[in-house]
Amino acid sequence: MDIDWGWIGDHTDTLTDHALIHLRLALLPVLFGLLISLPLGVLCRRWGWLYPPVLTASNILYAIPSLALFMVFIQYTGLEPATVMIPLTLYSLSVLVPNVVDGLASVSEPVRQAATAMGFGTLRRLLRVELPIAVPIVIAGVRVAAVSSISLVAIGQLVGQGGLGYDIIRGYQLQFQTQIIAASVLIIVLALVTDAVLVIVQRLLTPWARARGRAS
Amino acid sequence: MTGVAAPDEDVNRLITFEGVTKRYPDGTVALDDVSLECPTGQITVFVGTSGGGKTTALRTINRMVEPTGGRVLIDGQDVRERKPAELRRGIGYVIQHAGLFPHRTIEDNIATVPYLLRWNKKKARDTARQLMERVGLDAGMAKRYPFQLSGGQQQRVGVARALAADPPIMLMDEPFSAVDPVVRAELQDEFLRLQDELHKTIVFVTHDIDEAIKLGDRIAVFRTGGELVQVAAPEDLLAHPADDFVAGFVGQNRGIRSLSFADTAELSLRDDLVRPVTAAPADTAGLDWVLVVDEARHPLGWVRGPEVTGPLADAALAPVGGTFQVGADSVRGALDAAVLSPAGLAVGVDGGGAVVGVTGGAELLAVPTHGEHHRRPGKEHPVDTAGADSASAVRDGASD
Amino acid sequence: MNDLWNQIDLSWSWLTASAQWHGEDGIPHRLVQHLYYSGVSLLFAALIGLALGLLVGHTGRGGFLAISVANIARAIPTFGLVLFVVVIEYSIVPVLIALVALAVPPILVNTYEGLRGVDPEAKDAARGMGMSEWGVLWRAEVPMALPLILLGLRTSAIQVVATATIAAYPGFGGLGRYIIDGLARNDYQLVVGGTVLVVALAVIVQLIFAALRRIVVSPGLLGTARSS
Repeated sequence: MDIDWGWIGDHTDTLTDHALIHLRLALLPVLFGLLISLPLGVLCRRWGWLYPPVLTASNILYAIPSLALFMVFIQYTGLEPATVMIPLTLYSLSVLVPNVVDGLASVSEPVRQAATAMGFGTLRRLLRVELPIAVPIVIAGVRVAAVSSISLVAIGQLVGQGGLGYDIIRGYQLQFQTQIIAASVLIIVLALVTDAVLVIVQRLLTPWARARGRAS
Repeated sequence: MTGVAAPDEDVNRLITFEGVTKRYPDGTVALDDVSLECPTGQITVFVGTSGGGKTTALRTINRMVEPTGGRVLIDGQDVRERKPAELRRGIGYVIQHAGLFPHRTIEDNIATVPYLLRWNKKKARDTARQLMERVGLDAGMAKRYPFQLSGGQQQRVGVARALAADPPIMLMDEPFSAVDPVVRAELQDEFLRLQDELHKTIVFVTHDIDEAIKLGDRIAVFRTGGELVQVAAPEDLLAHPADDFVAGFVGQNRGIRSLSFADTAELSLRDDLVRPVTAAPADTAGLDWVLVVDEARHPLGWVRGPEVTGPLADAALAPVGGTFQVGADSVRGALDAAVLSPAGLAVGVDGGGAVVGVTGGAELLAVPTHGEHHRRPGKEHPVDTAGADSASAVRDGASD
Repeated sequence: MNDLWNQIDLSWSWLTASAQWHGEDGIPHRLVQHLYYSGVSLLFAALIGLALGLLVGHTGRGGFLAISVANIARAIPTFGLVLFVVVIEYSIVPVLIALVALAVPPILVNTYEGLRGVDPEAKDAARGMGMSEWGVLWRAEVPMALPLILLGLRTSAIQVVATATIAAYPGFGGLGRYIIDGLARNDYQLVVGGTVLVVALAVIVQLIFAALRRIVVSPGLLGTARSS
């Protein structure tokens, strides 16, 4: 394969622009997904009957091809960022809700009861005890959701909103390998950096897990 | 079918440790030059503090751990001469949480080793059913799965599974530690009953000295660092701990515990305090306490001599308290009965419940706790004196 | 909402039109193509993912490396990979490679986690009773890890079925053909019809795995294992 380094040098500005758009298109949905899945997960824990239908719904959502989901929304939102971001938010929900529920379920009953016995109210116990303990599992979900989202955005170019997906399709139409490679590699780099940042965030949020990891 | 002896095969199943050492690459010593024998047909208990190497020692027998020095022999043959898998199929193995296979039914769990030995399915399952009965499990549980059983029941399955191919040797690593005290006592009793029938060579690991004393024919005490401190019969261990470590480990009340090994047949019982209910009131006048019995000499209760004013049948009797069966219960049981009695005297009865006599206080403590009468009441030792003798010759007392 | 019903109605008439059920562009032909791409990719992904997952999970060595590689693989933009390799060599193979790359991580990660989650005491007992390493793997670890292994296969299968639509972009057909064509012609009836077919296929995959779970997973595990 021949890489035209000159072309890359000439297009750093546009590639950077596309990368930033790409990141925004990919990560805002994950953020929205997290903001929705936290309360939804808490509710599913509180009312057990809610979880099976939510799980089924998210499984079905997950089965819809991203391209098709973009198409469905294009009629309502047009060639706008929302057309890509709403489906990506839905996808992230299908990963995040189960992880939030599993994370909250990982809080052992003695810990929960000890917190109650020490006088924590329901909300305070949730914020100070249960959610911190759930962090590792929730972040594991966020990592999968973020990396998949970054990879999926490229397909959004077919509905006119793809960030680096533009360069992939353009390169394909022009049969210009360099542009496809540059965009693909940038997408992988974005995903790896995002993943690394999330790992660091988790370490900062859960210093106890780090200490335990070292001890074992 | 090598590795599985026919049940009636007349072989010794003697396990010998010869200077066995296990040193891990990081320098930790789990076993330090351990030598001992686990006699045929007896229960040898490995006991000690955590990190004492007792589990490691057990696991060298079926090659789950390979020693870095010394050797382990079964009937004089180095275990390293046998392939691990083949060796293990001939040795029963029971562990703390039973380690049952959650995906297999109870009967298939029990038949694991028969399947490995390629028995036909019917024979394997028939054996499994028989063993379920033997360990006290209802046959209706055969098709259930482990998660449907209580901890105690799972542990019984674990024992049955280890017995399935009728191995002459059983290794048991804290098999009863994870269940509650009541169930544990029950499992221990049934385990002893089973051993009376089967006479397996058993190596049993526990951290609980009471369990060791209850179950062990011989007890090997391990100390942190993998050092074998003392090997002795339970009563000898209690009477003559080799050093402060063992003394501390067997605990402060080892004196009381050693009474478990004293036979009540040795007690001299007083008959002069026993009165039939028909006796004349004047007969009791000079006595502090009197035990009133019925026509069949079954105890009715205690009464203070001076308080008797009418016929004994009308007297207000204090409860008997406890009784002990002469010759069957240990002196510890008699002491227990004495403490519970309002008169401070233990009532000795025969097998039919008829009073033989009463005893108390200094009398109880005057009985020798070891020597020729060290056989524990209620527990039969196998008639294998040769094995027992050779065992005591191996290593008694401290290494330092 | 009226819009939506209208659409469903249109898609229904599209799906049921007899023209859709014959010829090169008919649903049966596209469905077979789609199933072929999905099946072949899943087969190879399962071979790679299971082999690596079982190896790493059983030995316990290289777990961190395998999981890291699997996570990086998730980051590969399938779309970019497909189009890039197609530019180099116009054939279906690059599409299949991209789908395999997509499907391996969930299988690998779930197999590894499944084996790691097996009760260590059960494994110890298996060895202690004289099972060979091979026996421990097949008689103890795999049956106990089966719920998670199936979950991984299911996740991959659904992703592959949904993503195989991409094959249509460089012109390899499959059910994605309808979606791509519909987009190009502004024919939403075609887009929704194609989507319905893909989703139906994914639902069938879900059902197959649910049935499989019931058949091959021991009832002894379903009592305790997390349902999914």
